[in-house]
Amino acid sequence: MANVSLWNSKRGTASPSVGRVHQLVARLAWGDAVGNQVRYLRDLLRGWGFASEIYADQWDESCRDQVRPAHDYPREADADSALLIHHSFESRLVPIVARSKGRKALLYHNVTPARFFEGSDRHVARGCTVAREELRALRDHVTHAWAYSHFSAEELTAAGYRDASVLPFAVDWNAFNVPADPALRAQMEDGCANILFVGRTVPSKRLEDVLRVFTAYQRLYQPRSRLLVAGTLSNSAPYDASVLALREQLGPERVVFLGRVDSAQLSACFASATAYLSMSRHEGFGVPLLEAMYRGVPVVAYGAAAVPETMGGAGVTTLTDDPVEVAGLLAVLERDAALRARVVDAQRERLAPLDQETVARRVREALTPFLEGRAPAREKRGPDGPTVVCPGFETAPDAPMSRLARAVVDRLPGARLWTVRRQVMPLQLAPKEARSDGAAVWHFTPDEPASREGQDVPPSSSLETAVCCATGPVLFAGADEEVARRTVTRLHSRTVAGGVWETRRAPDEGVRLALGARLWELSPGADVDALATDVAQALEAGGRTHAR
Amino acid sequence: MRAEDLISTRPTAEEITESLRQLPTPRPDAVDALRQRFAATHEKPSAASWPPFLEGARIKRDARYADAPSSHRPVVGPALVMAKRAFRLAFQPFINEALRRQVEFNEAILDALALIHEHQRVHARTQTLWRQEVEKRLEQLDAQMPPKTPEAEPPTKPSGEDTGAEPARGKSRRRGR
Repeated sequence: MANVSLWNSKRGTASPSVGRVHQLVARLAWGDAVGNQVRYLRDLLRGWGFASEIYADQWDESCRDQVRPAHDYPREADADSALLIHHSFESRLVPIVARSKGRKALLYHNVTPARFFEGSDRHVARGCTVAREELRALRDHVTHAWAYSHFSAEELTAAGYRDASVLPFAVDWNAFNVPADPALRAQMEDGCANILFVGRTVPSKRLEDVLRVFTAYQRLYQPRSRLLVAGTLSNSAPYDASVLALREQLGPERVVFLGRVDSAQLSACFASATAYLSMSRHEGFGVPLLEAMYRGVPVVAYGAAAVPETMGGAGVTTLTDDPVEVAGLLAVLERDAALRARVVDAQRERLAPLDQETVARRVREALTPFLEGRAPAREKRGPDGPTVVCPGFETAPDAPMSRLARAVVDRLPGARLWTVRRQVMPLQLAPKEARSDGAAVWHFTPDEPASREGQDVPPSSSLETAVCCATGPVLFAGADEEVARRTVTRLHSRTVAGGVWETRRAPDEGVRLALGARLWELSPGADVDALATDVAQALEAGGRTHAR
Repeated sequence: MRAEDLISTRPTAEEITESLRQLPTPRPDAVDALRQRFAATHEKPSAASWPPFLEGARIKRDARYADAPSSHRPVVGPALVMAKRAFRLAFQPFINEALRRQVEFNEAILDALALIHEHQRVHARTQTLWRQEVEKRLEQLDAQMPPKTPEAEPPTKPSGEDTGAEPARGKSRRRGR
């Protein structure tokens, strides 16, 4: 019965089962991953006997017949309705969700970190930041939450979603069985080795790295080669202009920007491709990687975000972005026929568990508790204990900052230490508490692999989200890290925050202003234990003030 | 490439690195030249700040909020300023709505100017790199050319005509400027 009161409160009115399961998406586009997934789920839900419509705030002209205006949903929904909310960018749909009746669940596709757009597109950068704020705001309105990768599910967990789990991503394989455009195919199959990249030209896709790798490949291994880029590229965006300029600066031959292509042209691209290359720094899932696997094209991909998980051990995932070394991988796939055949075979095996029937069954299994109105058990969440954020703790546990972080945790009862994992793994797991010599340590997944020689810890979106959601005192060790810069002004208004910085790495002005007097310097040769005692006392005092 | 830099189950990372070792080794000077080229074209991510010449316009782009101008008149002046401030305070929502399109236009025109500035900056950079590349190649060609001997000089043309002989590469016009 305890659950019923919760169920009937902010999360909508309970109903044991539903006949209507609708979907809400900010924009329904034709051909993008989110739009395809929304249409797939609608068909699936209708096939299961539910009435299902798509509600959107904006849509492509070609999708007009498939969509209803989002602002109609609160009026049309009743206690028996169920709503699946797709979230991938700023939507401004939280108020609509809040005032809609019925049960609601979140499907998280991931949001590109704002840092990729800063300096090139401030509107998109702002949209990404707002989207993460909306992710936190949606938490209070939904009963269930799913993500399309473990990487994204980790962020849901970090944002405070209980029992966030992974929903299998459905790919319509039949859509890839389109005959190739004969003219384009004949043009491409002229004896050149074709390297293919498919995707939007946005900074997170790192098209400039694709150009560098291809230049190295052409100059060092295969002069008769061509780079095919299928995706819109215009000269009216700063990033696109910089990509076109880089092509001029590097001077590779036969770089073809195809722009937006239709299905037949895309088939021709894949049919003539020697290898598929992705240097993307952020993918919530990565459909083109699977498409390349399906079409028998060996994939070389940089192992950032959910890419290693999407690849699932198939293809070649590289943890280095050195263009010369990645070019070697392209060369070896072109020249070593036996190796290439084994890669393609492994890729086909990777796709076996993703066939339509299996995915549909797994989607139904995952959605059943929501469709049947079974709310997950929810324990009341108490106030957070103190949190010490030390991204470099796992990478360099003996560094002075790591020792200080550990010493502060030891001095504060109930404190936990948050750090960033050193290694990228094929399957990312939600952050879980691990004990390290008695201290509670949480390991968050980095957004991309650590550089070989660099001392800097790569950023982690999950860690940043978790810090923004922390309600207890927070200590940044160190205050110069990116996580401090990005979150210090976005903490809860009543959160007590402090920071420690090393002499050689001073925090920037924004962090200094936000932390004020709770900023300590860790100078070389300083007494770490004495400083840890001071810091712990200050945080404890701040926390008590907060608790009163 | 090291095996630990790869994730692959079949073939294994070790098998791929072994196959990489079978590749013909690229010439070290070609690799060095490439790496230098990559370093030269590697732009540091620009800060979120605007080009300096747009800073002034950026500060003034939001026309909705502005303090009332001060007045030099001793008694009436402050009263007028206060009245204007009170007016703004009371009618700010209407002012916001009236100037909303203007603010949107200001932001759009600033974005367009910033884009043009970015284009010019990128173009200038490309030109610089291209010129450096051309000069470097000219120097390499100079170094490869055999030294000219007096016997190798082309026969001189009749007086009054241009000899037609190309100037020596080492004294190219470009570098002579």
